[in-house]
Amino acid sequence: MKVNLARTFPMPAPAPQAWELLRDVERVAGCMPGAKISERIDARHYKGSVAVRFGPANMSFRGEVEVVSLEPASRTLRLIGKGTDTSGGSGASLDLTARVDAVDEVSSNLVGSSEVSMSGKVAAFGARMAEAVAEQVLTQFGANFAAELKTRQAATASREGGDASTAPVATAAARPAELNGLALIWSVLIGWLRTLFGWRRA
Amino acid sequence: MGDTAELKDREQKLQGLGSSLLRKEDARFIRGQGTYIDDIQLPGMLFGAIVRSPYAHARITSIDKARALASPGVVAVLTAEDLKPVKLHWMPTVGGDVQAVLADKKVCFQYQEVAMVLATDRYAAYDGAALVEVGYEELPAITDPKKALLAGAPVIREDIADKKEVGHGPRTHPNHIFTWEAGDKAAADAAFAAAAVTVREEILNPRVHPCPLETCGCVASFNKATGYLTVYVTSQIPHLFRTVLAMLSGLAESKIRVVGGDIGGGFGNKVPIYPGYVVATVASIVTGVPIKWIESRIDNISTTGFARDYHGVGELAADKDGRIKGLRFSALADHGAFNSHVSASKLPAGLFSICTGSYAIPNAYCRVDAVYTNKAPGGVAYRCSLRVTEAVYLIERMMDVLAQKIGVDKAEIRRRNFVKPEQFPYTTAFGWTLDSGAYQAALDKVLKAVDYEGLRREQAAKRADPNCPTLMGIGISTFTEIVGAGPTKVCDILGVGLFDSCEIRVHPTGAVIARLGTMSQGQSHATTYAQIIATELGLPASDIVIEEGDTDKAPYGAGTWGSRSTPVAGAAAAQSARKIRDKARKIAAHLLEVGEGDLEWEIDRFKVKGNPSQAKTMKEICMVAHTGNLPSGMEQGLNAVTYYDPPNLTYPFGAYLCVVDVDKFTGETKVRRFYALDDCGTRINPMVIEGQIHGGLTEAYAVAMGQQLPFDESGNQLGNTLLDYFLPTAVETPHWETDHTVTPCPHHPIGAKGVAESPHVGGIPCFSNAVIDAFAHLGVTHMDMPHTAWRVWQKCQELGVNKRAVRA
Repeated sequence: MKVNLARTFPMPAPAPQAWELLRDVERVAGCMPGAKISERIDARHYKGSVAVRFGPANMSFRGEVEVVSLEPASRTLRLIGKGTDTSGGSGASLDLTARVDAVDEVSSNLVGSSEVSMSGKVAAFGARMAEAVAEQVLTQFGANFAAELKTRQAATASREGGDASTAPVATAAARPAELNGLALIWSVLIGWLRTLFGWRRA
Repeated sequence: MGDTAELKDREQKLQGLGSSLLRKEDARFIRGQGTYIDDIQLPGMLFGAIVRSPYAHARITSIDKARALASPGVVAVLTAEDLKPVKLHWMPTVGGDVQAVLADKKVCFQYQEVAMVLATDRYAAYDGAALVEVGYEELPAITDPKKALLAGAPVIREDIADKKEVGHGPRTHPNHIFTWEAGDKAAADAAFAAAAVTVREEILNPRVHPCPLETCGCVASFNKATGYLTVYVTSQIPHLFRTVLAMLSGLAESKIRVVGGDIGGGFGNKVPIYPGYVVATVASIVTGVPIKWIESRIDNISTTGFARDYHGVGELAADKDGRIKGLRFSALADHGAFNSHVSASKLPAGLFSICTGSYAIPNAYCRVDAVYTNKAPGGVAYRCSLRVTEAVYLIERMMDVLAQKIGVDKAEIRRRNFVKPEQFPYTTAFGWTLDSGAYQAALDKVLKAVDYEGLRREQAAKRADPNCPTLMGIGISTFTEIVGAGPTKVCDILGVGLFDSCEIRVHPTGAVIARLGTMSQGQSHATTYAQIIATELGLPASDIVIEEGDTDKAPYGAGTWGSRSTPVAGAAAAQSARKIRDKARKIAAHLLEVGEGDLEWEIDRFKVKGNPSQAKTMKEICMVAHTGNLPSGMEQGLNAVTYYDPPNLTYPFGAYLCVVDVDKFTGETKVRRFYALDDCGTRINPMVIEGQIHGGLTEAYAVAMGQQLPFDESGNQLGNTLLDYFLPTAVETPHWETDHTVTPCPHHPIGAKGVAESPHVGGIPCFSNAVIDAFAHLGVTHMDMPHTAWRVWQKCQELGVNKRAVRA
C-alpha cells in the first residue's frame, strides 16, 4: 500500500542556512523520529534503521538510503530509502523530495513530498492508520528540523560570542530514540477527532 | 389398528430415514472432547513455523539462518536449498502445474512460504522464524487479472515462461494458464444475431476465503526403524492425500497412514495439499521425529484455499416475451501464482457449464480464461462444487437483468423459462442430464408462503413515497445445483476416479460397523450414514458405528467435498447394506424352510407371505450368520464392500426468496425475511438438513454481504485477519425460514441428492438480487458483491436517494 504526502513547514532561518542542514543527510535522518544512519557507504549511499513501536510490537526497519539528487540551484534533495523489518514480516520504502524555498531574510519554507510504500504485516494492520501516522511523523520531522536550525543558529551566535558550544548534542539527546506508537496514536486520534468535529487548524 | 401402531413403533426404534435423530457426534463436541490436529502430542515432537514473504513479487537475494539457529530451542531451518536434494522444493499440482514448496530464488505472492523453522515448541519456532533474515529485491506485482495478459506485463512464472502449456491446452502469454470452452459458439452467436432482446452484464465473484474455524495443520511422524509414515492431517480427502504423498515421497502407499481425525470445518479449504504439510512430512522423514505444523489465522486466510475470483460477463438473448434463445457466459479466472486450483483432470473450470441453471436454453456457449497473478495460489470450491457458485450466480443474476430489460416480473421470467417436469431427464445445451425436478411447483409454494403479490404491492407503495427512509428489495433465486462428483468417465484426480466406497461388517449381536471413503468435517456422517444403513438392514441406528478418515481402516474413496458424500458414499452404503440383506434373506428362507420368493421384507424382519407369524428378525439372522446353521455352501459372516461409480451427478434445486430493507441514509441492509425451499430428493434426517441449510445460508449471507479478500496495487493483502474478514455470528445472522419439496433422484439407490451446498450456491444470488431489486426502479441492473453498508451507501449517494425531501 502507498501513502502520498505533501507538506510545507515554515523554517525560522534563511534559505541558505536551511539548505545547509537539508543537504546533510545524516542530520536530516536525525530529525526523523526513530531514524538513525549507521553507516556511510559513499557520498550518496547510507545504511540505517527506523524503529517504531506499535503497542506491544516493536518493528525495526533496516535498510539503505540512496541520495538520488542534490541540486543546490533549486535547493532540492531527492532520496530513496528501502528497508525490511528485521523480523521479516514487513517491508517499507520511501521516495522523498524536499526543497527549500526562500521567504525573506530570516525565514524560509521546507517543502516536502513523499511516497511511502509498505508491504506485509505493517500494510495489513497499519493500512487504516497509515496516512494519519505518516502525517504525524512528518509533523514531528518538521518540528525537529526547525529545532535543529534554531540550535545551529544559537551555536553560531554563541561561537561568534567566543563560546564553544555543547547545545546541539543536548538537543539531539532530548529527542526520542524511537517512534513511539502510543504517543503517535494519541496525536492521530486527536487529529481525527478534530476533522470529525470540524476543528480546523486556522 | 394395533398392528399399525406396532409397525410404527418398530420403525421408530430404528431411527432410520426420515427421523430427526440427534447427532451422534455432538456428545463429544459439546463437551470439548473432540480430537483435533492440534490436540495430538507425540513424544519428541518438534514444531514447525513458516517464514513468509512480506512481498508479493520479489527475488530472494539471500537467506541468513545464523541468528535463528542461535535462538533457544531452534533445531533446524529448512529452505528450498535443503529440500533440493530430495527433489521436493517444488511439487506437481493437480492442475498440471508445479508449485514451490519453499520459495526457490523468487516469491510470487505475499506470505509465500520461504523457510520452515523447527524448534522444541511453537513459541521457540515462531521466535526463530522472526530471526531468519531474508534479502529481497522487490519486483512489480500484478493483482488485477485484467492486467496479467497485457503486452509488457511482468512475467510472474519465469520457471515455466517457455512452456507452451500447463496441463490444459496452449498458452498465449507467459501469465496465461489455459482457455477452456464448452457448448456451441456458432449456434449461440446465431441465436444472439436473431434475438429480439439481448442483455449483457459484467458480474464479479470476488476473491473470498472459506475460513473454517479450525485452520489447517498436520503432525507428520516417520518411523525410521519400520519405514512407516503416519500423517495426521486436516484433510477432506485422506485417501487421495495418501496417494499423493506416496507419489511425492517414493514411499510405498501401504507404508503410509493418513488419519483425518475430527476436523473443525473445511468448506473446501482442506481439500488441497499445502506446502506446510509437505515440508513437515519431509522434515519428519529426514529427522525421524514427529513434526507438527499448525497455521495461524493470518496464514490460513492469506495462503491456503481461497475461492472464486471469477470476473464474469453474462449475456442472454431472448424473444420479446423473455423466452431465452441463447446464452454466452465468460469468465476471467484469477488463479494466483501457481495453478494448484482443485479440479478434476478433465474439468479445468470445474462444473462452470452448469450455468444454464434451471432453464431450458437451447443454445449456449461458455469460456473461461485462467491467468497467473501475484496472489495466493489455488482456488477451492467454498461450500460448493467447483465453479458452481460462480455459474449459478451468473445465471440467477442475468435472469433478473433480463426481466428488468423486458419489464416483466422476476418470478414470471423464471416461469417462462423453467425446464418443465415432463421434460426430465433433461439434457442441457452443455450436455449435463438434469435427473429430476419440479421447479415451478417449488417456486409457487414459496410465493404463496410469503404472499409475493402483497410484498410487491408494499414495495410499489414505498417506492411511490418520497419520505420512505428505506428502499425495499425482493430477491428470488430458483437455482439448480450439480453435486456428487462423480462418474469416473467424467471425473478423476491424478487418474483416480471419483467413485466412493462403503464396507459394512455386521456383528453377531446385530451391532454394525461401517467404514467409508469420505471424511466428515461437521456434516453429521456418523448420524446420517447410520440412518441409511438402519433402514436398509432393519437394525437400530444407535448400534451402527461409522468410521472414516483413517486410511488403514476405511476402503478407498475420494473424500468429502462438493456435496458428494450422500450421492456417492451414501449410495455405496445402501448398496453394501442391500448385499447383506440379500444374504440375510437366504438365511431367513433356510431357517423358515421356504423359498426366498415366499419372503417379504418388513422394517426389521423377513416375513413369510400370507403367514405373518412366521418371521425372522434381522437381529436373529445376525447371530445365525455366525453359526453353522446356514444354507449349504454359504460362508459365515454378514459383511459387504461396495465401490460405487455414480451413473450421473445429482441435481438438487430450490426456490429462495429474500426481502431486504436498505436504509437510504446509512446504506445498511436489513434482511427482513429469508424463505428457503430446498429439494434434495429423499430426506435422510430433517434436522441435519435444516442445520446444513442454516449453515449454508449463513455462509451465503457472509459472501453476499461482507466477505472479500482485498489487495492493494503492490500485492499486499488488506483483509487477512478476523478484524477485517467478515465471519457472521449469531448477532449478524438473519432468521431463516426453511421449507421443502421431495423429488427423488431416479438413479440413486435411496433417491437422495445431497444438500449442504444448495443454500450457499442458491443463497448468494438471492441476497444480491434482493439488494439490487431495491434499486431496480432507479435503473440499476447490477451491483457487485459484497453489499456492505459502505458500498451500498455510495450507490445511494450516487443516485441521490439519500437527499432528504425538502419540506414545504
